[in-house]
Amino acid sequence: MSVLKTSLRNFFAHKGRMALSAIAVLLSVAFVSGTLVFTDTMNTTFDKLFASTASDVTVSPKDTDPGDVPQGGRPESFPASLVEQVRKTDGVQAAQGAVVSTGVTVVDAKNKNVGPTSGAPTIAVNWSSNELRSVEMASGHEPRGPTEVVVDGDTAEKHGLKLGDELRTISVVGDFTAKISGIVEFKVTNPGATVVYFDTPVAQRELLGKEGLFTQIAADAKPGVSDDILKANIAASIGGGYTLQTAAESADAGREDVAGFLDVMKYAMLGFAGIAFLVGIFLIVNTFSMLVAQRTREIGLMRAIGSSRKQVNRSVLIEALLLGLFGSVAGVAAGVGLAVGLMKLMSSIGMELSTDDLTVTWTTPAVGLALGIVVTVLAAYIPARRAGKISPMAALRDAGTPADGRAGRIRGGIGLALTAAGAAALVAAARAEEAGPGSLWLGLGVLCSLLGFVVVGPLLAGGVVRALGVVVLRIFGPVGRMAERNALRNPRRTGATAAALMIGLALVAALSVVGSSMVASATDELDRSVGADFIVQSGTGQPIVPQAQAALEKAPGLDHVTEYRWVDATVTDTRGRTTTADLAATEPSYVKDLRRETTAGTLTDAYGKGAMSVGSDYAAEHGVKVGDVLTLAFKGGEKAKLKVAAITADTGQVDKGAMYINVATLAEYVPADRMPQSLLLLASAKDGQETEAYQALKDALAPYPQYKVSNQADYKEQLQDQVGQLLNIVYGLLALAIVVAILGVVNTLALSVVERTREIGLMRAIGLSRRQLRRMIRLESVVIALFGALLGLGLGMGWGTAAQKLLALEGLGVLEIPWPTILTVFIGSAFVGLFAALVPAFRAGRMNVLNAIASE
Amino acid sequence: MTTAVTIPRHGGTGGRTAVAARARQVVKAYGSGETRVVALDSVDVDIARGQFTAIMGPSGSGKSTLMHCLAGLDTVTSGEIFLDETEITRLKDKKLTQLRRDRIGFIFQAFNLLPTLSAIENITLPMDIAGRKPDAEWLRRVVDTVGLSERLKHRPNELSGGQQQRVAVARALAARPEIIFGDEPTGNLDSRAGAEVLGFLRTSVDELSQTIVMVTHDPVAASYADRVLYLADGRIVDEMLRPTAEAVLDRMKDFDARGRTS
Repeated sequence: MSVLKTSLRNFFAHKGRMALSAIAVLLSVAFVSGTLVFTDTMNTTFDKLFASTASDVTVSPKDTDPGDVPQGGRPESFPASLVEQVRKTDGVQAAQGAVVSTGVTVVDAKNKNVGPTSGAPTIAVNWSSNELRSVEMASGHEPRGPTEVVVDGDTAEKHGLKLGDELRTISVVGDFTAKISGIVEFKVTNPGATVVYFDTPVAQRELLGKEGLFTQIAADAKPGVSDDILKANIAASIGGGYTLQTAAESADAGREDVAGFLDVMKYAMLGFAGIAFLVGIFLIVNTFSMLVAQRTREIGLMRAIGSSRKQVNRSVLIEALLLGLFGSVAGVAAGVGLAVGLMKLMSSIGMELSTDDLTVTWTTPAVGLALGIVVTVLAAYIPARRAGKISPMAALRDAGTPADGRAGRIRGGIGLALTAAGAAALVAAARAEEAGPGSLWLGLGVLCSLLGFVVVGPLLAGGVVRALGVVVLRIFGPVGRMAERNALRNPRRTGATAAALMIGLALVAALSVVGSSMVASATDELDRSVGADFIVQSGTGQPIVPQAQAALEKAPGLDHVTEYRWVDATVTDTRGRTTTADLAATEPSYVKDLRRETTAGTLTDAYGKGAMSVGSDYAAEHGVKVGDVLTLAFKGGEKAKLKVAAITADTGQVDKGAMYINVATLAEYVPADRMPQSLLLLASAKDGQETEAYQALKDALAPYPQYKVSNQADYKEQLQDQVGQLLNIVYGLLALAIVVAILGVVNTLALSVVERTREIGLMRAIGLSRRQLRRMIRLESVVIALFGALLGLGLGMGWGTAAQKLLALEGLGVLEIPWPTILTVFIGSAFVGLFAALVPAFRAGRMNVLNAIASE
Repeated sequence: MTTAVTIPRHGGTGGRTAVAARARQVVKAYGSGETRVVALDSVDVDIARGQFTAIMGPSGSGKSTLMHCLAGLDTVTSGEIFLDETEITRLKDKKLTQLRRDRIGFIFQAFNLLPTLSAIENITLPMDIAGRKPDAEWLRRVVDTVGLSERLKHRPNELSGGQQQRVAVARALAARPEIIFGDEPTGNLDSRAGAEVLGFLRTSVDELSQTIVMVTHDPVAASYADRVLYLADGRIVDEMLRPTAEAVLDRMKDFDARGRTS
């Protein structure tokens, strides 16, 4: 019988055991290929969208990014005469001016925001024949005159909008109400933006503040003129000072806009797939080790009758190859399903993706299969080698070869050395003075301590399981004692099984420590430094429009309201070195709203005429002292020479390194229509009127649902919720690793039950009831799970603490260990153990006593 | 269910009847139709209390099956089996398990002990499982009788085959079951160790009034019994009281000869 045939027979003889390992491979591969399919599909969707909307050449003002909300709330524009100039350019078939603004919020008659919640923009544009490239009128007609607006169908459906309904568009220019005259449907998938269309003069007036202005020009080439030639011609015609993009370049730019978001998601998901693979490796190693151990006599016989080591080795590897192949093929298929599920999930949070665009490139199955097979075969290599080393004598012996005591000592030595190195690196990370080398130490520490724990795990099993036994198992009497002994019987197996669970739980613990430290640090800092009672900001990054600010300032019970604007500027120090910076343009009352220490000067002086403040880091780096004069070039404004009146201490996270100037100072150098708008407002109530003022602010903001007012308590809660949500997503993804680990526990138990068939028979014969037998197996499982949890949580808390100490450099000053979470996870892992034991315990209970006694 | 199952009995000393177990018209068949194989064919047998009974017979005679049925390990196709006054053939698994735990002791040919437990833990295991405290006085007597006082803390793999079987005997005796079943308990031992174990079984019958049923094919082992039952083709074909090894051997030669001619 050939090697291949033996492998095939063995493979199918252990279908059940193989199935569990195959599921692990499947899950990991599915995550990888699902991620690839999902991002490819997103790319296809965006490519189609950009391709359908872009004209041959697009002209826009220099240095603008159409995807960003303009700082001033009003997009850059140029006069209509430029459109005429482009139209007359050689090779231009047609040129149309367009008005596009993302600095808007659209609300329905009930003051409900109809904009997307997914982070996609609300876009207001003028209606022109160009729009018909990407949309078609589904009902009603195009917007005519100042009373009409057209909205996209997805938005209309989501918010129940009908023809004739009123929509109010809020921008810095003012509020503008119009009735819906038409609803358009996108011809390609619109991934989630809300789009409203106005008659061109209306769009100019209400979005840009003046008729006769455009923000973009769409030019199309005459037949035979390429986009590149057209672009060159237009550039020659209108001169510099504008950004010109061909259709292909527009698509690229658009793709780049979303690419950042896509990449983050892609790498996060691939990271989790990696963790799942790592855990899967333990499962595969364990499975093959057990199969080899179980087959020791058989392999010994094969060797005795003349199989070479190589042949035995190869036969095991071929089994692994088959496993990898089956798992990966199923994994790629499951990955496509996962991608579809992910798309459905995204659409539930407002990001529409159509399955029509489902894109599976050849790389997806190639990567999935290669990864799955290579990882499986590599994982099986050690057990395969061990199989090859089995001597022909094993055929004659009764049991497996006795454990090698020396290997245990070597193992312990290596494990302890790795753990010690990891601990040292973690301490180095915690004590690091700089973030760069510190994070390297942290990475090294995490890696070494993880490997150390994995290696030393089987040796720890004895002590830890016994300790757990005293606490958990003793109450179950002899059944508990037997469970404990069984868990300790093969420490290497118990260690490897628990290690799989350990990895996932270590990450959970580390992240929860960092997460709750983040909340605790931020809360602590808010308590210490923030004096303002209320904060107003938008959830979507929209600046606060003047009409909203005016409404808010009228609210009764307020002591003061402070504006807070960001302005881009190039800062030149006394020695002529320039840096670009975001300056915080605010009001003198800000010193009361946010208490900041200064290392020199008085912060109040920085709000004086011709004055500013800098942060201590900048001051140190540039040798700036109080009284020095810096040159600032404001974006959209003039150059200013400002005297440094104060230097703030760069501690804490809020406004770290900020340079402050007075809004009034900024207004001297930047024209009114280019002034950046407030990104947030701070307000304080008169003493004793906090509750009334809070309600009054909420009422004042009711017509402007894009803004949210919070008092300190609510703000803290939101902060906590945000971190909590983020952690929940991460936990959800880590659940994958935990599922694979559970499969490992199931696998180990199932095999233990088979191995102990005779023992189980004996115990049943002398009076162990089915229920006691099942309990014994469940307890063994629980103890393995708790062992893994204990190692994992301990390791994770170490990682988290080291990370917090390192991040203290970035202002994460407070360490908080979330004991309730840690305890919940620990107890939860006991249930994981119970769950994993369900099937093996059931099967053990069903075993026929006589057959069990009689079995070899 | 009668309380008899849950209240431990004292082997033989206070029994109401002289019969510890009896089988009535017991049939055990495997398969059906043409492939039907009858392992026990309407067997009637009484196991006397306080006696050492050996069951002998060639391979496939049904001797092990009979023992398994008497011990509540196997189900019967028809017929009734009584342990004392308890009819066991209709008991559900849970009650049968309790019955085995509280009223029956076992000694198997091999693999009698849990490798993870020490000798003394193995001995008290049935009582531990039942949640009963072993009678310390009795336990010491049993342990002394089988001569294991020095090795109680040892794990099975640290004991010789003979010692392991003695632990198994001690376990069977420790719970004071009504009846002990042995399935070739000396089958894996050399003659000296076998003689030792059989000696203990004999002693426990003589001094502790224990009831023992043992399946064996070894005439020497059978000679330790008070009574030998011969099984062939699923029926009890003969019986011998106060056997000697030679007499048993002769009788078996007869059977063999008959078996060959028939």
